[in-house]
Parts: sequence; C-alpha cells; structure tokens
Amino acid sequence: MALEDVCSFKERPVQHKWFSFSSLGDAAIPFPKSDYYNLRLETSENNCGVPLHFFIPPLPHSSSFINRPLSSFCPPKNSMTVQRPFRLAHGTTTLGFIFQGGVIAAADTRASAGGLVACPAVHKITPIHSHLVVTSSGSGADCMLWERILIREIRLYQLRHGHRLSIRATAKLLSSMLHPFKGTEMCVALTLCGWDNGPKLIYVCSDGARLQGDVFSVGSGSPYAYGVLDRELRWSLSKGEAISLAREAVFRATHRDAYSGNNVDLFHITAQGWIVTVMRSVKTNLCAHEKKPRNL
Amino acid sequence: MATKNPFLTSSSLPTCLPFASSQSVPLPFPMAHGTTTLAFMFQGGVMAAADTRSSCSGLVACPASQKILPIHSHLVGLTSGTSADCALWKRILARELRLYQLRHGRRLSTSGAAKLLSHMLHPFKGTELCVAATLCGKKMNLSGPRLFYVCSDGTRLRGMLFSVGSGSPYAYSILDQGVHWGLSVDEAKSIAREAVYRATYRDAYSGNCVDMYHITSKGWTRRNREDLKEEYYREKERRKHEKTERRDTSLSDSHTQILLEENREDCWTEERW
Repeated sequence: MALEDVCSFKERPVQHKWFSFSSLGDAAIPFPKSDYYNLRLETSENNCGVPLHFFIPPLPHSSSFINRPLSSFCPPKNSMTVQRPFRLAHGTTTLGFIFQGGVIAAADTRASAGGLVACPAVHKITPIHSHLVVTSSGSGADCMLWERILIREIRLYQLRHGHRLSIRATAKLLSSMLHPFKGTEMCVALTLCGWDNGPKLIYVCSDGARLQGDVFSVGSGSPYAYGVLDRELRWSLSKGEAISLAREAVFRATHRDAYSGNNVDLFHITAQGWIVTVMRSVKTNLCAHEKKPRNL
Repeated sequence: MATKNPFLTSSSLPTCLPFASSQSVPLPFPMAHGTTTLAFMFQGGVMAAADTRSSCSGLVACPASQKILPIHSHLVGLTSGTSADCALWKRILARELRLYQLRHGRRLSTSGAAKLLSHMLHPFKGTELCVAATLCGKKMNLSGPRLFYVCSDGTRLRGMLFSVGSGSPYAYSILDQGVHWGLSVDEAKSIAREAVYRATYRDAYSGNCVDMYHITSKGWTRRNREDLKEEYYREKERRKHEKTERRDTSLSDSHTQILLEENREDCWTEERW
C-alpha cells in the first residue's frame, strides 16, 4: 500500500485482533481480520512512540488486550516523545456556515511554523467526496494524514455497501478514529461541510468534540471571523452575498491575526456537489477597504 | 506619602516598591483580561465603550462594574486587567494630574498623562500587576481627539482604534469594518454598541451591560447604561423566525432538531440581576 511505503513500516505479525469489531460477533464485521491497519512505527528508545494504530494502540508490556475497552488508551510509557520545535497553536482561520443555498466553507492559505510563514499557498479545504469537503486546523501534518485516512475509509464504505456514508456518520467515524490519540500531542480540528438530504456542518476535534451547528470558525483568527459572521449571517442570504460575507470574514481575520493571511479559498457545497471559487488574494479586499475616506 | 529620596519630585512613586516588599502573595487563579473595552477616534471626538462584567475565574463577581472611569472633564480611562489594580491606578493618575494642574496652572496633555502613567507603572514590570488602560482625551488645544494605550508591561501606543480584553478580537472585526473618520455621532455610537454586543455574544467573560462615553472638546458625556439582554432577545426572536422559515424548506432529520432548539428554555428568563 502506498501509505505503508510512506510510513515505511516493517511487516509485523498480527498480535491482536480489533477489539471493537470482534466483540460484535462475526456476522457484523465489515472489515477483514488482517494486519491491514497495523501501521505501527518502531517503538524503540530512539523513535517517537506515537503509534498509527487506529482502533487499538499498542501498549508495551501487555500481552493481550482483547478485553480492554477502547477508552483506556494511554501513550506508551517507556517511549520518548520528540520535542516540539515550537509551541503549536491553530494558526489559521477557517470557517463554514449554512444558508439557504447550501454550505460555504472558507479558509486562508497561510501555514505558519512559529514565526515563519512556512507556506503561503496551502490548501486547508480538502474535498472528501463530491458532496463533502473538510476544512482543517491544527497541525498541518496531522490534518493531511487524517484527511487521507478519511477519504480512504469513506471510499471503502461506499464500495462495500453501495451507498455513501452520511455526514453525521462520517463525523462519528472520524471522531472514533481520533479517540485513541486523545491525550497525545496530536492536534486536529476538522469541520466537515457537506450535503446529504440538506446542508450539514459538523465540527470534529482531536479532543473528542463532535458538534453539529450552523456556523463554525476554527483557528487563531476565528474570533475575528466570528464577529463579522454573527453580525451579517442570515439564512436568507443569496449565493453572492454569502460568498462575499465569507471572504470578508476571512479578510478581517487575516487583517488582525498574524498567523492567517495570503489568499482565501472558498468552497460552496450544494445538492449538486461542491464548487470552488478561484483563489483570490486578500489584497483585493484590502484595497477596497483602504479606499474609504480617511481624513486626519 | 513621604518619599525616601529627596531628589525625586513628590509626584512620583509610592513608597512600597516591589523590591522593598516581602514575599508576594500567590495569585488565586490565572489572571486574564476578562473584558471587552474599545475606543476609537472619529471626526466627532472619541467614542469609548465597555461591557460591565467582572469575572473571577468562572464566577461573575459583579455584573454591573464600571470599566470606564473618568479622570477629569476631558480625559476618560478604559481599564482592563485586574480590577483592583485598575481602580487604584486610576485614582493615582487622577491625583497626579490634579496636582500637576494646581502646580502649573494648566492641564497635562493626554500624551503627557499616558507617559506619566507608563513611567509610574514601570517599576512594577515583571510583578503580577496587570493594568491595561486606554486613555481617551483631546489634544492640548482641544482641537482634536487623542487615544493612547498604556499597559503595565511597558507598552505605550498612540492610535486611532484600540480594543482590549478577552472579547477584543470579536470587537476588532466589527470595528475594522465600520470605523472611519467621517462617521456621524449616531453611527459611531451604534458601531461601538454593536462591537461590544458581538463580543459579549461570543466571549464568556464579557457580558451584562454596555457603557458608552463620548469625549468632545466640551468634555465627556455618558450614555445611559444599556442592558444587552434586550438585544440578545431581539436577536433570538429573529433567529427563531428564520428557523421557522427554514423548517418549511428542510427535511425530516433537521426538522426534529429545529423543534428541539425552539423549545429549549432560556436560562435567563428566570434570573433577576
């Protein structure tokens, strides 16, 4: 598998089965019992001990944990975690809201690493399938990985069952996949914006939060965006008004927040699927803003 | 207060300086600027607004505190940080400015007042003192407005628009959108009120009422304290109305959710301030 090669893990014999599915009985298991998800990094002293196990993380000195409940995960005690180079913060502005014409998802495009702008043109909104996009915030690496995992899981479900997983179920799946990593340094805050029998907006966080709502904004620039959104957001907005509102909200956040900036990505999700608007620099908003009369 | 050093003017530091005192009392909880205050300049003077909630790590200690403190007839200070420290330093500043006026026959300018406050706070840099004051006043000849931000960590900034506190990001985005020099007084009032309202809407440590002061060349005028509860209920009614519109066009799974939200009781209906 490509993901295996990327993670360069070594083949290990199956040491345990999936607890979560084996307890349901054989008839209910949708996935094959194999080493499929055993993407585990070496837990040696030199290595970071964070496992990529999705349902049951490997705990050292434990022989079998068939009966261990899912919630008793704790990070391996005798492995060292790699020191973070800088303090992580959700240095971004992403937002999503629902209106009569569907869902709008908008984000800035700046990736910051401490005080450095690591990349001024990052895509923080990723399509999962034709009717679902996800906006990401938190650690860029973690978000990219989990988006890939989510895309794969949703596609597999679709192939196995012949219909697409609903967005609420997608959020639940993502939340339960993230659960074993609660308490570790993983930092992922995703907003699922999509359409299935109606517009849906669900916020999933690696802390365990899973919230459905009408408007969400995540990241260091989110308070600035919330101020603008709360004021102007109405159900009855037209499509053009909604797009310009989202752009204005991201612009206001980039204006005040140091960790947000550069361009604005905007996705509009309707019953027909998602449409992306062309990435436009916030400079156009800035020029319009500065043209207002300012006499001193 | 007698000073120990005869070469310092008498209008200077209080005697108990931090290095002379005994060990400091540990703070009971981490201090944060749990407030929303804002001030901006426009052609009609300076508009200052603030909420009235004093919080004490999760408890609303006082729902009707005053964060905008007039210092003299043409100078108003907005305070953020520790309320105890702010009240004390406002009194100290007012006293020093009055003494200056009596000694020199004229008032100290707003920038002079800001500098004085900043220098008085400087010995406490590094201690747990937490004062962030925005001084709103006029130029010396009362011809134009002046706005200064002074913080106990040493910052002293002059500007056209400041917002301080935990609710300030929410207020900043509203102010950035709407504030420009050519505002009328009524427009300035409504934007200041809207900005404080939006901050109290989202920020847990800001709330209750909004105070507004308008400083002109004739002095400051105070608007009656307005309870934001009314505005909150107006908005809630509007959103409820929108939800009934939505319900006609949406399908069954969100239908039950909207019904549940409509019937949820509001905690505020039972409270009395």
